[in-house]
Amino acid sequence: MPDLGGRRVVVTGIGAVSSLGMGARNFIAAIRAGRSGIGPIGQFDATGFEHVLAGEVRGFSPSTYLHRISPEEWGRSSQFAAAAARMAVDDAGLGSPKLSSLRTASCFGTTNGESQLLEDLGEQWVFRGPEHLDPRLVHQIDAGRISAAVNVELGLTGEALTLGTACAAGNYSVGYAYDLISSGEVDVALCGGADASNRATHAGFHRLGALAADVPRPFDEHRDGIVTAEGGAALLLEPLESALERDARVYAEVLGYAMSCDAQHMTNPHAPSIAACIKRAHRNSGIKPADVGYICAHGTGTEANDATEIAAVREAFDGRVPPISSIKSVLGHTMGAAAAFGAVVSCAALHEGFLPASSTLRTVDPELGPDVDCVPRVSREERLRVVENHGFAFGGNNAVTIFGDIAA
Amino acid sequence: MSTLPTQDRPVVPETGGTRFSSLPVSPVDVVRCTVFSAAGQGLDAMADALFRGSVTGREPDGGVTPGEYPPRLDLLALPDFVPADTLGRKGLNRLTRTDQLASVACAVALRELPRQAAAVEPDETGIVLGTSVGSTRRVGEFIRDTFAEERPYFVNPSHFPGVLMNSAAGRAAIHLGLTGLNSTVSGGPLAGLHALRFARNALLAGHARRLLTGAFEELSPQRAWAWHRSQGLAAGVPLGEGGAVLVLEPSGGREGGPRPLARLLACEVGFADPKSGLPSVSRRLANCIRTALVRSGVAPEDVAVAVPGAAGRGGWAMVEELALREVFPRGGTSGPVERLTIQPVLGETDSANGALQLAATLARWQDGRNATEHERAAVITSISPDGSVGCAVVLQPPLDRE
Repeated sequence: MPDLGGRRVVVTGIGAVSSLGMGARNFIAAIRAGRSGIGPIGQFDATGFEHVLAGEVRGFSPSTYLHRISPEEWGRSSQFAAAAARMAVDDAGLGSPKLSSLRTASCFGTTNGESQLLEDLGEQWVFRGPEHLDPRLVHQIDAGRISAAVNVELGLTGEALTLGTACAAGNYSVGYAYDLISSGEVDVALCGGADASNRATHAGFHRLGALAADVPRPFDEHRDGIVTAEGGAALLLEPLESALERDARVYAEVLGYAMSCDAQHMTNPHAPSIAACIKRAHRNSGIKPADVGYICAHGTGTEANDATEIAAVREAFDGRVPPISSIKSVLGHTMGAAAAFGAVVSCAALHEGFLPASSTLRTVDPELGPDVDCVPRVSREERLRVVENHGFAFGGNNAVTIFGDIAA
Repeated sequence: MSTLPTQDRPVVPETGGTRFSSLPVSPVDVVRCTVFSAAGQGLDAMADALFRGSVTGREPDGGVTPGEYPPRLDLLALPDFVPADTLGRKGLNRLTRTDQLASVACAVALRELPRQAAAVEPDETGIVLGTSVGSTRRVGEFIRDTFAEERPYFVNPSHFPGVLMNSAAGRAAIHLGLTGLNSTVSGGPLAGLHALRFARNALLAGHARRLLTGAFEELSPQRAWAWHRSQGLAAGVPLGEGGAVLVLEPSGGREGGPRPLARLLACEVGFADPKSGLPSVSRRLANCIRTALVRSGVAPEDVAVAVPGAAGRGGWAMVEELALREVFPRGGTSGPVERLTIQPVLGETDSANGALQLAATLARWQDGRNATEHERAAVITSISPDGSVGCAVVLQPPLDRE
């Protein structure tokens, strides 16, 4: 963009509503320690399913985190987004009044929107008939409400955009927020993703044979699928100048991002298109492949994803695979929040200097080829300069975000 | 942390939309538009219906069983939509109706690009679609199966991808082999404007060179019952379906290209919590319109027509109208700004409203019967019960300077 283009963009606040704990501190500590958030399904009746594990947010008490939006009026995904956003604002040291006085946008990604409310309506339809649908729920099902909830909770009057690009949506939202700030459109952007554990998603993956027998084991020789999960993750982005001006803690700089589409198959990932997306992200970020010290993988733990992802990385990195790991090993697949959690972890990895582990990895799949460091079992201390975060989705939607150390 | 009881909500300060960026925007060309509405396919059919003020009402096709739809709800289905003609028969039933609408519209739009239109690489061509929740029928039926089948996971695996909001954009990309950015935005009645804004940003930031941008909504029993139960339709407005896709490219990228159908300038989106009162939602929309005009370099008196979005939602048309009157006062220095209100004619189309409003603007400017050749600009507005408001500014290109 000609006029004001190219403002540098940094992350100064992070928030997490997760099965690993509430707040970014607890979430990151659990990631570093390799604690798992996976357990028995509690958000829906799991009777009749053969796979009954999920990564659920247990004991989420909306009133602890939300001042303005009430659980009667907003679905669980919206509550997750609003709570995570408020945490990110607090973490950034920006009060709500200050925030409302700035030009602030919110953009959050989701796969299934307000899936639990849709499920409630579906249940009413089946067991009582369509003439008994609860109109109160009908008013709450639009996926656009996820970002609206953030605006209501924080008293914002700027753009509220919800991205529906499935399991890559968290990265789409970080990218869109980056563009808005870089181009001078807004001064602050809250971005991230949210999804709630629900019956239909679990049934769909179950039927596809994509659910793990127990925990997910990304990159493992005997990996056998995903574990469905839920949560909300948020990042607060602002221009570098304003962060320096107010002496804010800077986690990382957003160097750039790219999007691509497989245009091949709705559910099978496609390595050439992912590789093209990675290369484009490098170009947009002004970095070379050799600069990347760690990749926060999409890493679902399915046979197809992990093989395709490593193949794509090999192609984009001219054969060298940087250290790459999957936080889904302990978090499960949080769908529309997944890439946003990845972005939060990428920022923490740069800021604290560590490589998150593929905690459940036993033996790296030899089929992935030589020299693949998936950070097995335990996380490692390491200073990083550039981190790459992956998000791929059904529908062939890919997005790759690149984060850099501000001092680098 | 303490919680505030809802009645003691802090009042969100009334902040002017002018606080938001007032930088001039770069224009984007609308090179092509493919539309499906209750009037049929194409801008001419749409212009006819809007000129007459009516369409021939059609019951939903596609295997409607009596009693599937709520009683006493007026429905307007698409006439003559035959997806097999474009997509073939193979695997067609795996696609949702929304998938089919989007795939056919994108295919037709690319096929009908003017001959002088530049070739753009598939990896620089993308799709941006707006939606509310995706395919209402597919979502409803999939959830139903998890309750009704012997086991909750005895769902149809080939129906799973269609449950997702991004299914239509993904399917259209597969059909056309478009590997450029592919995005889906949600936001109920705002979805069309969100898509236009997202696409504008992506083109100007260099993420793509050509974007098929629009929104589609299918008629289904699930959607009809939801409207029926929430009693949300304005009196006299049927429930419709359809949508439009616009082929967008950055303006002035090439000499000697085809004359665009229109030029899309600012597309502003803002928010006001409806709980702070409907007047504040009106004011926020008015600010959005003003900002959009300023950023477009268009004065209020340059605007000939306003194309509102909320006419199909009971109680919301006036909220939108008040904003329009604030920006374009009656008896002001400018002449009257005409209203082009499409929902009473074409039906309420939820997330497809914005795309159809833009298509209606193009249809009006193409239609020789309206003497619209001197109209310079139109504003397309949108308002959501959830609090989002938006405005896009569209220019009619000069007819005499080829």
